[in-house]
Amino acid sequence: MAEDLRKIEELIDLMDARGVEELEVELKGSRVRLRKSRHGGPVPSSIPSPLENQEPENRQTDEQGSPEEDDEGLAFIKSPIVGTFYSAPEPGADPFVKAGTRVKKGQVLCIIEAMKLMNEIDSDQDGEIVEVLVENDQAIQYGEALFSIKPL
Amino acid sequence: MFKKILIANRGEIALRVIYACREMGIKTVAVYSEADRDALHVRFADEEVCIGPPRPIDSYLNVPAIISAAEITGADAIHPGYGFLSESGYMAEATEACGVKFIGPPPSVLRLIGDKAQARQEMKKAGLPVLPGTEEPPESLALVMKAARKLGYPLILKATAGGGGRGMRIVRAKEELEHAWLTAQQEAAAAFGDGSIYLEKYVEGPRHIEFQVLADDHGNVVHLGERECSIQRRHQKLIEECPSVVLTERQRRKLGRLVTGAAERVGYRNAGTFEFLMDEGGEFYFLEANARLQVEHPITEMVTGTDIVKEQIRIAAGEELSFRQRDISWTGHAVECRINAEHPFTFRPSPGRVKVFNISGGPGIRIDSAAHAEVTIPPYYDSLVAKIIAHGKSREEAISRMRRTLSMTVIEGIDTTVPLHLKILQDPDFLSGSFSTAFMDRFQAE
Repeated sequence: MAEDLRKIEELIDLMDARGVEELEVELKGSRVRLRKSRHGGPVPSSIPSPLENQEPENRQTDEQGSPEEDDEGLAFIKSPIVGTFYSAPEPGADPFVKAGTRVKKGQVLCIIEAMKLMNEIDSDQDGEIVEVLVENDQAIQYGEALFSIKPL
Repeated sequence: MFKKILIANRGEIALRVIYACREMGIKTVAVYSEADRDALHVRFADEEVCIGPPRPIDSYLNVPAIISAAEITGADAIHPGYGFLSESGYMAEATEACGVKFIGPPPSVLRLIGDKAQARQEMKKAGLPVLPGTEEPPESLALVMKAARKLGYPLILKATAGGGGRGMRIVRAKEELEHAWLTAQQEAAAAFGDGSIYLEKYVEGPRHIEFQVLADDHGNVVHLGERECSIQRRHQKLIEECPSVVLTERQRRKLGRLVTGAAERVGYRNAGTFEFLMDEGGEFYFLEANARLQVEHPITEMVTGTDIVKEQIRIAAGEELSFRQRDISWTGHAVECRINAEHPFTFRPSPGRVKVFNISGGPGIRIDSAAHAEVTIPPYYDSLVAKIIAHGKSREEAISRMRRTLSMTVIEGIDTTVPLHLKILQDPDFLSGSFSTAFMDRFQAE
């Protein structure tokens, strides 16, 4: 584990040195994707467990490539507006959804605040939330991927 | 002073604002549509926010998206550039309501100046000479015909809500009036959301001369002299120069005084331009004011040694102008050519991928451009690729430098107006300074 972490640190240094925004490598059967966040250094976005321990149903961690190339049927809910992401109806409350939540079309997934207005963002399809891709209180651009969803 | 400015624009003018901010140590936020993901203004800003899909209405004209971008990045001011939302009273108001400073005049002044008919009236009261015309847009055909009878022909119909040639019709005879009025209304409604049309006496082949003004919150109102913009095609400027060959020192002082007086009277703030027509007899008439930075501002900067964008930022931040009227002097002559992505003689738009891009520099040359090799000029926005500005000790030297630069400029992959500019710069009437806004019609007919 420590060795894996050191290798990841080396990758992060390499990204910084060469000005690389996003990097995906396969190390000893594990796949690592590193993506630079807007506000600072690279942020590890997913560190999958080694392939031999993979649960067949646990598909989120061995998806590869950029979202647009995904051929496993994963869809993405993208923000239609610019603003601040809130995962819950109010501070301290439970989040609207999390990984594994099943949602119906039209169901509220999150709030994006813009110009003091709270905009509810609805799901455009029935499905199961695979991953919450952004953090509470994060600044969101137009078109930013908020959730990955497995259509049902 | 501001810590962070969001630039609500794109292309060369967004870069222009970044130049000033970098020199002043102010952080920048670029906003961009999906079509501008790889644009230079995005690359060179400190932060960037995608605000929408390519169409202007969804992105660069999208007030909530832009203000929201200012909120999430903590920008304390917005510079609107030119075009887009730069003259929108609504944008200025919404920006200020959210605690962000709008770098431009206050909303009330924007609205006054933006209503062309009202602006005419105010400037008339301020003592500026104006063309005879209607005080209010006539609301019925009967009233239009009545006003036309009074004014005589030729006359021009114009939109109160905007310019750029849209909603404009020249009417030379009574028979043409009704059709012209109806189509002008439709065009204005489509372009500006307001179909109001006013009438004005039409001066055949006038020269277009405009004055640059700056006003701060401390009572300083300064003019930076004039620009001549008579080389236009369909009311779109092609070549501008500073100073004008026909203006005497005395006329400059007199008009400058009138313009600063009018600016003071309406409570003008920040940068603005007052446009005049000069008829063949040498009479000046106020045409309209533009309450924003203009495309051709660099020629004034070259001749006066000022940085208008920095002054805009200083004014908005509550600081005094860097100079007083007595500090302004005019040195040499500057010419600007607007290089557009269009066929030089048919003017057919030519968006697409630029393969080779090199504008030659050398003494006295300034280049304001967001284009480069391998850039794709998107079809959604204006076709301006680059502004080339040449400055010299004299008009002859400036023109000589411009010709040299244009002839050594290589832009491949798209059509540009470079060959057209080269041709104009060899025209005897242009070289002798005897031209007016009728120049391009005559030039193209040949």
